[in-house]
Amino acid sequence: MALRQVEGETGFDPGDDLAPTSATATRRRLSGWRRVAIGVAFPVVLVMAWSTLSATGVLSDQLLPAPVEVLKSGRDFIVAPSRPPVPGVTPFRGAAARHIRASVGLWAVAYTIAVFVGLPLGLGLGLSRWMSAAVEPLFHAFRSVPITAWLPISLVWFGLGGGSARFVVFIGSISPIVVATADSTARVPRQLVDTARMLGTRQRDLARRVYLPAALPGIVTGLRLGLTLGWTSVIVGELTGTNRGLGAMMFAAREVSRLDQIIVGMTTFAIIGLAGDLLLRKVTRPLVRWADA
Amino acid sequence: MSESTAQDLTADATATVAAPAARPVEGAGAPVLAATGVAKGYGSLEVLADIHLSVAPHEVVAVLGPSGCGKSTLLRVLAGLEPPDRGRVEVDGQVVRGPSPDRPMVVQGATLFPWLSLRANLEWGPRALGNPRAAAVVDELLDATGLGGYGALLPRQLSGGMRQRAAIAQVLANQPPLLLLDEPFGALDAQTRLRMQEWLIGLLAERGTATVLVTHDVEEALLLGHRLVRLSHRPAAVVEEVALDLPTPRGRTTLADPRFVELKATVLARVLDA
Repeated sequence: MALRQVEGETGFDPGDDLAPTSATATRRRLSGWRRVAIGVAFPVVLVMAWSTLSATGVLSDQLLPAPVEVLKSGRDFIVAPSRPPVPGVTPFRGAAARHIRASVGLWAVAYTIAVFVGLPLGLGLGLSRWMSAAVEPLFHAFRSVPITAWLPISLVWFGLGGGSARFVVFIGSISPIVVATADSTARVPRQLVDTARMLGTRQRDLARRVYLPAALPGIVTGLRLGLTLGWTSVIVGELTGTNRGLGAMMFAAREVSRLDQIIVGMTTFAIIGLAGDLLLRKVTRPLVRWADA
Repeated sequence: MSESTAQDLTADATATVAAPAARPVEGAGAPVLAATGVAKGYGSLEVLADIHLSVAPHEVVAVLGPSGCGKSTLLRVLAGLEPPDRGRVEVDGQVVRGPSPDRPMVVQGATLFPWLSLRANLEWGPRALGNPRAAAVVDELLDATGLGGYGALLPRQLSGGMRQRAAIAQVLANQPPLLLLDEPFGALDAQTRLRMQEWLIGLLAERGTATVLVTHDVEEALLLGHRLVRLSHRPAAVVEEVALDLPTPRGRTTLADPRFVELKATVLARVLDA
């Protein structure tokens, strides 16, 4: 952050001063291409430093394997011919598609359920003072229970496997959806609702025609947070004794001390999480463009 | 302020200014709005004491009062957004029990739906009422408000003056017999405000919509009103009614009319001394 500030102020490019700046921003943004360039260059520099440290032996491969080893494992994960499955063994070579499919499938199913439960729940809390008074204290209390702490009860209720995993990811996704929907629904300006009523809108249409669209920018923020938190819960869900999924692969790799495979798993998590967020932003963008500053 | 003082003031004002206006519409039938003995408070705070107000068809009544006197509360009660504690409000002979497209209110800082285009905003009312001519009604209104080429824009892409015109057009799309305006041009700069006032005078005259205009601006009240109703400090009661028979059509030239200037000075003095 400090680096960017200095560069902007030393007048690297005189045209920079003419760029439109937001009146409320405390820090000017870099122009588009420069942001992208720095965003790409910085990780490259990091990886080069990491390579050098590994090659010179400063960094032991017991702590962190060299980037080239990780890259090789990544290639094996994706393209190596997969072997016939051995019962009870979590495969790595050539198993990328299998694990990604399992993890993303778990994420998609649990998140979809969370959206269908969370949106109406949030709308209800935002619209009804009674419901809000009754449910919100309980909800906020349970919201502070860490996701891993849901695992034991989930295992008792749903047993080992898919059901437990989906429940944990569902719990992980739902709270930001509910909180953001309730909050932004409760903040819809009364004037908008009054205007709709004075224009002849029926009482029972207000939620769908006024509250929901007016609260949508806030709801979309909650949907994005829920998606990301759901993805981070996937690894917890995969602690439930499955041998499919990125989390299962990483725990199997830990048992045989394959750091390279663990890093491949972490990188896959990062890439898919980012892609999911970008996709959701792209899909919801037309719905909330009206609220852009 | 006592009842007798109010009457004295009324007699005085009418004498200074002119005889009560002989509006062509006077006596044209039952009043559009009849509020009798309306009182309203919030907890221990008494806002409206005893309001009597009647509006004839096509009439524009300007309600003038000091800041914080309860003008907006009065309008919310007339609109049916708040129930009165005492008294009753009737519109076209029907007791007001809730908001209705028959008496919409437009407030300062327009309340268009920000996610809808201007055209969709204007079509909201007619569509909510199942009016099959919604599109045609809105075409006509867009022309009447000088917003013809802007139907596809979002509210935030319009200027403040355009948004305020659009907000008025939005409620007029349901052709209400009564329009309630709460400081509609308060947020605009002086030049824009005068243009908006001239536009509104023309629009209301053409459509014959009975109107209650609440304002703290003496000039606006005198320019737009056919009749002036002045409220006391909180708890508000009517202290004075003045018929305004300044020549029509009114507009920027009215501001220089000697009678307007004199009337403005008189009313302003009373508002300030109240």
